[in-house]
Amino acid sequence: MNSEGLSRDAAMLQDAVEDAEDVCRAIARGEVDAFVVGDEKNSKVLLLANAYQRYRQLVERMNQGAVTVSVHGNILYANQKFSQMLGIPLAQLYTAPLDAYVGIADRARLGSYLMLSASGSRIELTLNRRDGTTLPVKLSLASFADGYATLLVTDMRPLQWPALTVDALDSIRDCLETLNKPGADNAEARKAREAISEEVNGLARMIDEMLDVGPRGG
Amino acid sequence: MSTTPERWDLRLYTAGQSPKSLAALANLKRICDEHLAGRYSIEVVDLMKNPRLAKDDEIVAIPTLVRKLPAPLRKIIGDLSNEERALVGLQLRPHNTGAGK
Repeated sequence: MNSEGLSRDAAMLQDAVEDAEDVCRAIARGEVDAFVVGDEKNSKVLLLANAYQRYRQLVERMNQGAVTVSVHGNILYANQKFSQMLGIPLAQLYTAPLDAYVGIADRARLGSYLMLSASGSRIELTLNRRDGTTLPVKLSLASFADGYATLLVTDMRPLQWPALTVDALDSIRDCLETLNKPGADNAEARKAREAISEEVNGLARMIDEMLDVGPRGG
Repeated sequence: MSTTPERWDLRLYTAGQSPKSLAALANLKRICDEHLAGRYSIEVVDLMKNPRLAKDDEIVAIPTLVRKLPAPLRKIIGDLSNEERALVGLQLRPHNTGAGK
């Protein structure tokens, strides 16, 4: 190699060393939070832990359930909202099978859904809550990577409330007509009053649920 | 800086909305508005979406700013929070202003 070639190589080496020094300096000063790793065909970006903070806070605070399950359907991560939906502490959810909290009739569908893992696909099913009640939810597959599926869990009750409210008001109207009907006997009137009481209690429970899942319920 | 070239093409490699990526973009915009107003373009390349693009400019750490024009190509690694260093790196300021390594 002639001197010109050597000089060129020396200059390239000098540039490479300066680049490496720049990377080291930036790392030491905390000015970078991600790195590119892997070869050209299979490169990935690795984020430092604190780079996830923004997303983590978003997921932790959002008013929608989020749960990540393994290929075997075991819960590896759940946010606070999902825990609230079930009424079960987060610590108990980790490693538990997700289908243990799904209505028996829906478990086979959940299994198929997780196997297909089609991004963006949705499924509606019922969750079993700790207090014995059920919760209609919609699962949406947010991501599927490295064998882990992350699901967003949406409470479907708000979508049912308008129809349920109309039904309740219709029932109350019918009962009032019965009460106002001339010649209604005591048994009819008592039955109507009981029905009204039941519908009003149902509406009150619904309002409680609205407040719980709405912004005020946080 | 009236002697600076007419056109500055800058490419910022980011990693989604990582804090350093957001800081780098905010710092870059501020620096450009102050020193290159009306003469620059910024291309943001999100390597979270397509990591393969890193090989174009041999990117290792993120964020990294690449000055495509004016030649020669130059790289500045980090969030550009040190404005003096960023200005020296972009060659908008001489190297002897105390922003050394």
